[in-house]
Amino acid sequence: MAEVILNQVGKTYPNGYQAIPAIDLHIADGEFIVLVGPSGCGKSTLLRMVAGLESISSGELLINNQRMNEKEPAERDIAMVFQNYALYPHMTVFDNMAYGLRNRGASKDEIQRKVSDSARLLGLTDLLERKPKQLSGGQRQRVAMGRAMVRHPQAFLFDEPLSNLDAKLRVQMRVEIRQLQRQLGTTTLYVTHDQVEAMTLADRLVVLNKGHAEQIGSPLELYERPATTFVAEFIGSPSMNLLPVSITDQGLQLTEQVSLQADTKERGAVIWGIRPEHLQPCSESEADFALQVKAVEALGAESLIYGHTAGRSELLVVRAPGPFTPAIDQMLYLRAPQQQWHLFDINTQQRI
Amino acid sequence: MIERRPWLTLFSHCILILGIIAVALPIWVALVASTHPAEAFKQGVIPLWFGDQGWITWKKVLFSAAGNGVDVPVWLMMINSLVMALAIALGKIAISILSAYAIVFFRFPLRMLCFWIIFMTLMLPVEVRIVPTYKVVADLSLLNSYTGLALPLIASATATFLFRQCFLTIPGELVEAARIDGAGPWRFFKDILLPLSRTNIAALFVILFIYGWNQYLWPLLITTDDHYYTLVMSIKRMVSVAEGDIAWNSIMATTILAMLPPVLVVVGMQKLFVKGLVDTEK
Amino acid sequence: MTVTFPQRPLPWLLLLPQLLVTAIFFLWPAGQAVKQAFYQEDAFGLSSEFVGLENFSHLLHDPLYYASIGTTLFFSFAVAFVGIALALLLAVMADRVMRGQIIYKTLLIWPYAVAPALAGVLWWVMFDPSTGPIAVWLKSMGINWNHFLNGNQAMTLVVIAATWKQISYNFLFFLAGLQAIPRSLIEAAAIDGASPFKRFWTVVFPLLSPTTFFLLVVNLVYAFFDTFGIIDATTSGGPGQSTKILVYKVYDDGFIGLDLGSSSAQSVILMMIVGVMTVIQFRYIERKVQY
Repeated sequence: MAEVILNQVGKTYPNGYQAIPAIDLHIADGEFIVLVGPSGCGKSTLLRMVAGLESISSGELLINNQRMNEKEPAERDIAMVFQNYALYPHMTVFDNMAYGLRNRGASKDEIQRKVSDSARLLGLTDLLERKPKQLSGGQRQRVAMGRAMVRHPQAFLFDEPLSNLDAKLRVQMRVEIRQLQRQLGTTTLYVTHDQVEAMTLADRLVVLNKGHAEQIGSPLELYERPATTFVAEFIGSPSMNLLPVSITDQGLQLTEQVSLQADTKERGAVIWGIRPEHLQPCSESEADFALQVKAVEALGAESLIYGHTAGRSELLVVRAPGPFTPAIDQMLYLRAPQQQWHLFDINTQQRI
Repeated sequence: MIERRPWLTLFSHCILILGIIAVALPIWVALVASTHPAEAFKQGVIPLWFGDQGWITWKKVLFSAAGNGVDVPVWLMMINSLVMALAIALGKIAISILSAYAIVFFRFPLRMLCFWIIFMTLMLPVEVRIVPTYKVVADLSLLNSYTGLALPLIASATATFLFRQCFLTIPGELVEAARIDGAGPWRFFKDILLPLSRTNIAALFVILFIYGWNQYLWPLLITTDDHYYTLVMSIKRMVSVAEGDIAWNSIMATTILAMLPPVLVVVGMQKLFVKGLVDTEK
Repeated sequence: MTVTFPQRPLPWLLLLPQLLVTAIFFLWPAGQAVKQAFYQEDAFGLSSEFVGLENFSHLLHDPLYYASIGTTLFFSFAVAFVGIALALLLAVMADRVMRGQIIYKTLLIWPYAVAPALAGVLWWVMFDPSTGPIAVWLKSMGINWNHFLNGNQAMTLVVIAATWKQISYNFLFFLAGLQAIPRSLIEAAAIDGASPFKRFWTVVFPLLSPTTFFLLVVNLVYAFFDTFGIIDATTSGGPGQSTKILVYKVYDDGFIGLDLGSSSAQSVILMMIVGVMTVIQFRYIERKVQY
């Protein structure tokens, strides 16, 4: 178990393409860090640089206060769980888990003990003699984790480990991964493109966009105070409503007719953001503005209502609790409490 | 089938049985011929039913001498053929799997040049470069030797390509997992690559064994000493006597013995054989 | 993208055996053949003299060479055509029958394992003018069979022997091709009212055309180069020139006739032919064959 420190770590490919300019990240001992972002944002590249599968072009990687840039993957004392599990198809579960230990010259007794310990923890004891082909997706996933755990490495690296599972199993494994990591206390770096997975697993999240970190923080920090419009849109489902508006002395000009009272010194063009769950349906008299309903998705526990406000083309989303089904083209009156607003600079997209 | 047409099905069976008979006819005749004394052929047509000299003829060719100018017994030539076939098959597999490994899993300068050099061998069958190849082998004093029989034939573009195809289907993550597990290039080759290529190796072995066993022109050129004769080429020596002196009974017995091992391999390992055949043409 | 190991000398070491064998026994002799094609050796093989393209021009003015090209083309297309047609017939029948398919398959594929030279000898025995059962039967039918004297009959014999050996190969590929055709397609044609015969020509055969073309190329390559043993063991190119295919002529002129210049020039031309065929084969296979 160890601290993992990335100092200005960057990646430039031989063809000149700069995938990651420079990232600073300080992962505390035992911390669970999730790298999240859309595909092509450089999250896998970053993980693979930590693993040693991809060379580091600039900056420095420290694990346990030792420089790792030039070390082979096997020398970094890390373990990785791959998206497709990468189990050795010709080896039994036992051999899959034991392979790394064998290559490091562990004794037979030690291998036996460590593998059976990990197998017990993961509920794999009865499957040790099977080949990967004879396992279900969830079991393979567990073996992949077992292979990582068995060596008690300094750090776990996960590369979208749940994306090949069906939705139900994914939720179950998510919980299991979190429990195991707490139990073992191993420093963990986890890559995913799924923001729900990211929010539920992470001690801290790193939102990556085009190779740089948009924001680093706890899931709730990111939810409550997104630093940029990118983070605001990425975290939370459905996404935050973002509208370009202007703020004048009369308030926030939602449309030419509608202005909302705004207690801010900010003036001029800004991006106004509000989460769907913070738009509250109310009576016409209490309303800040109205929405013409265009579509309703009733999910039972909540309803998602999509619509336009007069004079604007953007589709806004409202998330109302419980079964709530306004008719199409009906006007839906909404309150938008000021304390739930997010304002962003229209040019830099940074939070104001 | 889509609909019942009993007559059509019967017709199919008839055609197939006819085909099988036509294909097997020469073997039948050969078997029959090997059971009659050599004199039987001087008086006219080969009889269509077995004679009583089979035991004598077969024992003679197998253990004393094949006859017709070949003074060594079939069992010796069988060993020669076996040595050559095994050396060619195993040699081809060994050097090809190593080169495919180098080409797929390493990046180094001139990699593609190596690939094309190996590819070139496809365009240079022995038959089109007989004289100079003979000269090289003669200069290396490899005439009449097992090395000379096998070594010049073990370069293989086909086998290299087959292994390359097979390796390319191995997911990159498996290599990465092995690296993280502390396996270097050699361990990876031994622990992961070889076990994963097992069926490919077996299928290729079947095809290459047949290829090696059936070599004809090459052993014919470089062996002048009876003790290095292979079974297949010895037939040429046996039929190269004046017409009328040909002892068909010995020749037929030798021929059947010469084709028996590869035929048994094909029939016994049919699945691997078919896989090998399809793989090597990809 | 494949993942690779960062190593310098190792890949060269791995390639070394293959490259050595290739260089010593393939590239060097091939180079010698090319060089030799531009030289003329004197009658005793003591000295040789650079003659430029003379060997080639001799060759291209030699009616015997053209005769050999003609023989090769006839032989190859006859082998390919007969072999493909018979194999297709057998494969379609084998695909039809439910019972005994595996037995039929086993009993039809084994000739692949027989060496060409042995195939030649086996059929020679069948057709031997004085003792062969078929030859004798033909004589009783009024056909005077003697492939030692009659060129056409000699050609027929080597075509039969070469085809016999190759049918099993074609059969296997056709059967695989047939079994790869989705059942639903044939069922659809049946529902559209096509008779089995019509279904074959309008649905099955067109779908087999990639396999057929592939087999055509493979069979031509086989007839060009791998039938040396059949020719050598049965007819030795004769009678006269009637079965002297190009590959046999290279051997005959070089090893028996000791005309190294001409033999080498022929080798060079053959190398070019193999080159073209290999390229066709690879081009074609890139376009994905259905097995």
